[in-house]
Amino acid sequence: MSAAITLTDVSFIYPGSDFSFSCSHLEFPQNEVTLITGHNGSGKTTLSKLMCGILKSVTGRVDIFNRDTKNLTLGEVGKCVGYLFQEPTQQLFTPTVWKEMTFVDEILGRTSNETERKALDLLEWFGLTGLKERSIYYLSRGEQQRLALCTLLMSGANFFILDEPTTGLDKNNRKRLYTLMDDLVARGKGFAVITHEGELIDKYAYSQVRLEKGKVIA
Amino acid sequence: MRDLDPRVKLLWMVICTTGALVFYDPIWMMGLACFSLVGTLVLGADLKSFIARFRHFLGFLSFVVLLQVIFNRSGAPVLSINSFVLLYSAGLNRGIIIALRYFVILCAASVMVEENNRKVIAALTQMGIPYTFSFMLLTALRFLPLFRSSFSNALVAIQLRGVELNKIPWNKRLYFYSSLILPVVADAVVRAQQLATVMEARGFGALPQRTSYVQVAMKFKDWTFAILLFGLCGFAFKLYYFKF
Repeated sequence: MSAAITLTDVSFIYPGSDFSFSCSHLEFPQNEVTLITGHNGSGKTTLSKLMCGILKSVTGRVDIFNRDTKNLTLGEVGKCVGYLFQEPTQQLFTPTVWKEMTFVDEILGRTSNETERKALDLLEWFGLTGLKERSIYYLSRGEQQRLALCTLLMSGANFFILDEPTTGLDKNNRKRLYTLMDDLVARGKGFAVITHEGELIDKYAYSQVRLEKGKVIA
Repeated sequence: MRDLDPRVKLLWMVICTTGALVFYDPIWMMGLACFSLVGTLVLGADLKSFIARFRHFLGFLSFVVLLQVIFNRSGAPVLSINSFVLLYSAGLNRGIIIALRYFVILCAASVMVEENNRKVIAALTQMGIPYTFSFMLLTALRFLPLFRSSFSNALVAIQLRGVELNKIPWNKRLYFYSSLILPVVADAVVRAQQLATVMEARGFGALPQRTSYVQVAMKFKDWTFAILLFGLCGFAFKLYYFKF
């Protein structure tokens, strides 16, 4: 199975901090869900930020679909890797659901019937069609999260990094999220999911990266 | 000088910002800017953080200067191509004054941002200002770095949706940046609401008076510095308005 993201001899240290992260080799395969687990402060978020180029490694290299992140802008990374923040409102910018779906295409001046069709299809698939004109601030957390994931799919990303996506979700919304993830994997997408959620760990126990004190231990 | 009483630092801040608003002479403004910069460093602002903070404003300052230079078309011509005057003395003066005004305000704010919260609140309360106002002022000052970090998070989030900033057409840039402001402001409002609720739940504002563990007292050094500041300020304003 091909790797979406590969980390080779990577090390990172925050200026003025004792914490350091390092790993000799780590691969996140496409078409699979890989969990990133570990205690608080073990380096999960650091790893995820290195994976999508928000942080640049001090040594070694991080490749996204065989391209070194040091040579990519965040915008270029965003075209192949989507990052779902823990707080979905952090990545929603417009007053309504529909505007949010077409926002990026609108500012880049590439709105077309095809874009609108794609947005409509995604909204339908994620069960958000009925909320098209609703304000993003009147959506539930689960709806906001689905919308944020939808917008990442609009950018054409093939691999997604989700930062604790089950935080604040009830059982039904968690199940819905797992189904969506399985559907996307079946369509060729891949996931790296930061989580503490036992249910999720049981479900995808076969593929797990466990961190402790900034090191990969399993 | 870093441990001067917060009231003296506030006095210095008021004098600098008042000067920045009343001076309309570029030479005076340059003098005030130098005075503010030296004061900022002497009173405890870290030079590295100050430069980093100032760098964020450089684009904005250049834009403001450019606006003045373009639209203020009075005074003597300074630069012209053939018969078209590009730059007038009044426009240039005004541009310099406004850029330096922002610089002075930034210098003054830098000192207060790095001051100990508890000491400033105690100082203001001891000056007779109701403690609710003192807390509000400090909370507002502390919100500025949070606001900036929210904005940079929003910028990262939008880029990770496949937006390359340098490829946004010029006519869409204003719409783009104003859209980023929406979640940042919403986030700030939500945080402010939560903060207010938490503080009220802990009994804040229930009584008109509030005791404070932290007390500040003006020492000889503080009085000397304050008197010197008053003297210098009076001298400068007299010289500026009445030229002796």
